[in-house]
Amino acid sequence: MYSFIWRHLPGNAWVKALISLVLVVGVVYVLFQYVFPWAEPLLPFNDVTVDNQ
Amino acid sequence: MAATTDGTAEQTDMSGPAPAPRRRGMGRIAMAVSVFGELLITAGLILGLFVVYSLWWTNVLADRKADQQGDKVRDTWTQKDTGPGALDTREGIGFLHVPAMKNGEVLVEKGTSSKILNDGVAGYYTDPVKSALPTSGKKGNFSLAAHRDGHGAKFHNIDKLKKGDPIVFETKDKWYVYKVYAVLPETSKYNVKVLSAVPKESGKKKAGHYITLTTCTPVFTSRYRYVVWGELVRVDAVNNERTPPKELSS
Repeated sequence: MYSFIWRHLPGNAWVKALISLVLVVGVVYVLFQYVFPWAEPLLPFNDVTVDNQ
Repeated sequence: MAATTDGTAEQTDMSGPAPAPRRRGMGRIAMAVSVFGELLITAGLILGLFVVYSLWWTNVLADRKADQQGDKVRDTWTQKDTGPGALDTREGIGFLHVPAMKNGEVLVEKGTSSKILNDGVAGYYTDPVKSALPTSGKKGNFSLAAHRDGHGAKFHNIDKLKKGDPIVFETKDKWYVYKVYAVLPETSKYNVKVLSAVPKESGKKKAGHYITLTTCTPVFTSRYRYVVWGELVRVDAVNNERTPPKELSS
């Protein structure tokens, strides 16, 4: 999977490394900004109140 | 991928047609296994990132937000004429100081929805049992909730609170000094009776000025609730220098 992505990136090894880095940062950004805030309330780690439900 | 290049190389060298398909088949399986492995590694990394997110990043965001809102509240307090009855509960009604928790001041806002608590504040209950505000002067239970981990983790050290420890609630012109008199280290999340005006589980029978702190326990999970009860000891007027009561200076 990762070797497939690597082979399909343009440029030489340095350019590929740079693009990979940008891709990784982009994925982490999307996770922190959208995916984790969405997933967090669905997981039972952070309910602090007492209630009737 | 090395396997297939090897396979084709051998095929041209030895011109034997028999081993080639078998080699290619092995390559397919090897590739499937390696993709599966990479997916597992990726899943592990994402879970690791989620831990970083919930235990670090949400704190960064929440503390930033809480500081902004706290500054805003202090700003409105310093303005002389906010008008009669112009207490804006949306911005926060005051600050909670619990020296035993070593977390500075915690802004208190209305409501205990995750949207409010995620800003790194403590919320007073409006549901299922309406909290009695100390500013009203009436007897009742001032019930609060805040996060144990992540989102500011304002009640993280709630287990450090012992009987006799002070809890001080600061408003624009009053210091409400409470003393912890009972702790319930583990209770069901459905136990709404702990929020009652007279919390019987704490051993009280008569109406009084109580404060209740609730959060989740054990740390990092939400299986149970941790409850701390305090009772009002005295109310100090805020002076011009906002000198804190002696419970906070020691």
